Amino acid sequence: MLVSECENPRVYGYVKEEEMREQAAVSQRYPAVQALAKQTDYIRKGMTIYEKLNILTDAAKYDVACTSSGTERNSDGRGIGSCELSGICHSFSADGRCISLLKILFTNECIFDCKYCVNRRSNDVARASFTPEEVCTLTMEFYRRNYIEGLFLSSGILNSPDYTMELLYATLYRLRKEHHFQGYIHVKAIPGASQELIRQTGFLADRMSVNLELPTAKSLKALAPHKTRKTILEPMRLVQNRMAENKQELTLYRNAPRFVPAGQSTQMIIGATPETDYQIMRVAESLYQKFELKRVFYSAFVHVNEDSALPAKTGEGPPLLREHRLYQADWLLRYYHFQADELLSEENPNFNVVFDPKCSWALKHLEEFPVEVNRADYQMLLRVPGIGYKSAVRIVKARRLGVLDFADLKKIGVVLKRALYFITCNGRMMYPTKMDEDYITRNLLGAGEKLPKEVAGMGYRQISLFDDVKFGSCSQISV
Amino acid sequence: MRTVYVCNDTVTGIFSGIYDAWKASKGEEDCEIALRGMLDFQLFCDYVEVEETEHKAIAVEALIRKHLGEKAYGAIYHAAMSEDKGKGDAILGTMLAARHLADSTKIMDHLGHPKVEKVFELGRNVFGEAHSYKGFLRFRELKNGVLYAKIRPKNQILTCLAPHFASRLPVENWMIHDAPHQMFAVHEAGKKWVIVRGEKPDEEIFRDVSDKEEEYARLWTGFCQTIAIESRMNPERQRQNLSYRFRGDMVEFTNSCHP
Repeated sequence: MLVSECENPRVYGYVKEEEMREQAAVSQRYPAVQALAKQTDYIRKGMTIYEKLNILTDAAKYDVACTSSGTERNSDGRGIGSCELSGICHSFSADGRCISLLKILFTNECIFDCKYCVNRRSNDVARASFTPEEVCTLTMEFYRRNYIEGLFLSSGILNSPDYTMELLYATLYRLRKEHHFQGYIHVKAIPGASQELIRQTGFLADRMSVNLELPTAKSLKALAPHKTRKTILEPMRLVQNRMAENKQELTLYRNAPRFVPAGQSTQMIIGATPETDYQIMRVAESLYQKFELKRVFYSAFVHVNEDSALPAKTGEGPPLLREHRLYQADWLLRYYHFQADELLSEENPNFNVVFDPKCSWALKHLEEFPVEVNRADYQMLLRVPGIGYKSAVRIVKARRLGVLDFADLKKIGVVLKRALYFITCNGRMMYPTKMDEDYITRNLLGAGEKLPKEVAGMGYRQISLFDDVKFGSCSQISV
Repeated sequence: MRTVYVCNDTVTGIFSGIYDAWKASKGEEDCEIALRGMLDFQLFCDYVEVEETEHKAIAVEALIRKHLGEKAYGAIYHAAMSEDKGKGDAILGTMLAARHLADSTKIMDHLGHPKVEKVFELGRNVFGEAHSYKGFLRFRELKNGVLYAKIRPKNQILTCLAPHFASRLPVENWMIHDAPHQMFAVHEAGKKWVIVRGEKPDEEIFRDVSDKEEEYARLWTGFCQTIAIESRMNPERQRQNLSYRFRGDMVEFTNSCHP
């Protein structure tokens, strides 16, 4: 595998001479860049960079991921930029989401007609396109001022998937090789683009993602007629395989170029189609296992288009609580050694609205509790509501040096008001407690368990025709 | 009788105090480190003024590194930059507690011990604030091309921020101004960064920004406003993640030139 790759000089851009030749060739090889410059000049002469940024930010904002984590790198002293393993948030927008990367579309022109998307070709919205140079300048100037941690570049499909992917590649190439930018870059792989282009781009980016868009192939067919499961999973598999090969190359040559060092992620829209939480979690789980994804993001469906194929507008806004529960469960899969099958089942396919997934699991499995903090193994500690994975590590370390009591747990960071029903210290519970589901539920609620606002205001609610478990936020409560 | 070692509120000062206390080889109950200017006088105590020297600080640093390990040194170093007035005492207590452990490098796991727990807490707090500022700090480009940032941190975090930005912007001239502690981290392109203390420069120079500065500030402010999704508005979550105290020096919150 390695040998055959080596024959392709384009992959090994670190060879100095190759690099020079490539730089010269890039403009000839990518006529798309020049064609675009002409085209956009012709259509929208005089559009300022401010207007463009405004349009293309507005078009990109529904993309969820804004993380800059997963890779560590220092500047080589020539250019600017470095990466921190933990990622850094640079600001927070009014919707409470983190702003870490300059999240923009290259263009919001699109030949596809996905029903949920604001940029679909049948929508009449203002269209704009950046030039690669404009994206580079914005990124560099924002980065110098410490506004951003890097660039998140996505795009509508202009002309064809290959044409668009070329443009993204050309932009990244310029940013990395001409501006010597060494900060974080997250780029979208365009479904349907050629393998070679995706592979090339991967050597310039830190993270790549292909949007799964919708959890099942059936929904995808209904809402995104131009995308298929195949065109989405193919690049995902390609990136996964190339990352595995790259790992071998790096053990052989420490300075070989790195392919997507921060891993790949994906996102899917929640609440536009009738999948249950159980189905969604199963999909996420298989993505983590079969495609080794770093993250799966969930995006509560926001009503931007009127379309008969989409759920009716209910006035409730996006299903944020459902999204929140999915993220909580996602963490349980990745950090807490849970399986999707443990949390949900065919009979009970949706998450509890009042309690988080871990707490509802514990309430249904009281036979496993209470757990003795000074003896229980790490895996079991992880399953106690109120003990996070950091606290669990601290407990395991601290108890080697002395016996822990409730006061120590509090200092370590355990949320005692939740954990106290499920743990003992030296064989004693904090207060006398009945191991009974109703009793604990009542007490947890009584102790000021913070209720989601969707549930807290539920006492008096207008009954609506559209109360439906799939789209409503809290029509089904099973406490 | 208890001895209280009074030292300056700098890492060198605190380490010098620890050096003196350590040398007198007193038990945990018989000595205390206090900071000059933050003193609560007590009865039945000896107050000793600590002479601050580089030599003492280096010796203590080597002592910690050798016996408690790099991880513990990281926590202690961060704790020493905290705003808490009991920090010196907590560090000394942690070092004394480490003597009773079979493996002293495990000291930071010993969270059952109150002094260790305090160092852990302070270190985490300082580290957290430094991490926040790595994101929330904003440079502006002055007329002469220098990038200038003003911050108002609670703890003395410049020595955490400077290496981060030196690695990130090696080819730039930049300067971070810690206003409450009157300290500057200064970096000249291609060189090492330095900390400058006690200078009182003319604030007017810092207002004289380059021509393009306002344009980029406007682009950025516009970006931050556009990126928010209307149907998900949640100022409470924004406040939890980005407290008001940072916003005074962040251009996207102070800039009013948005059309």
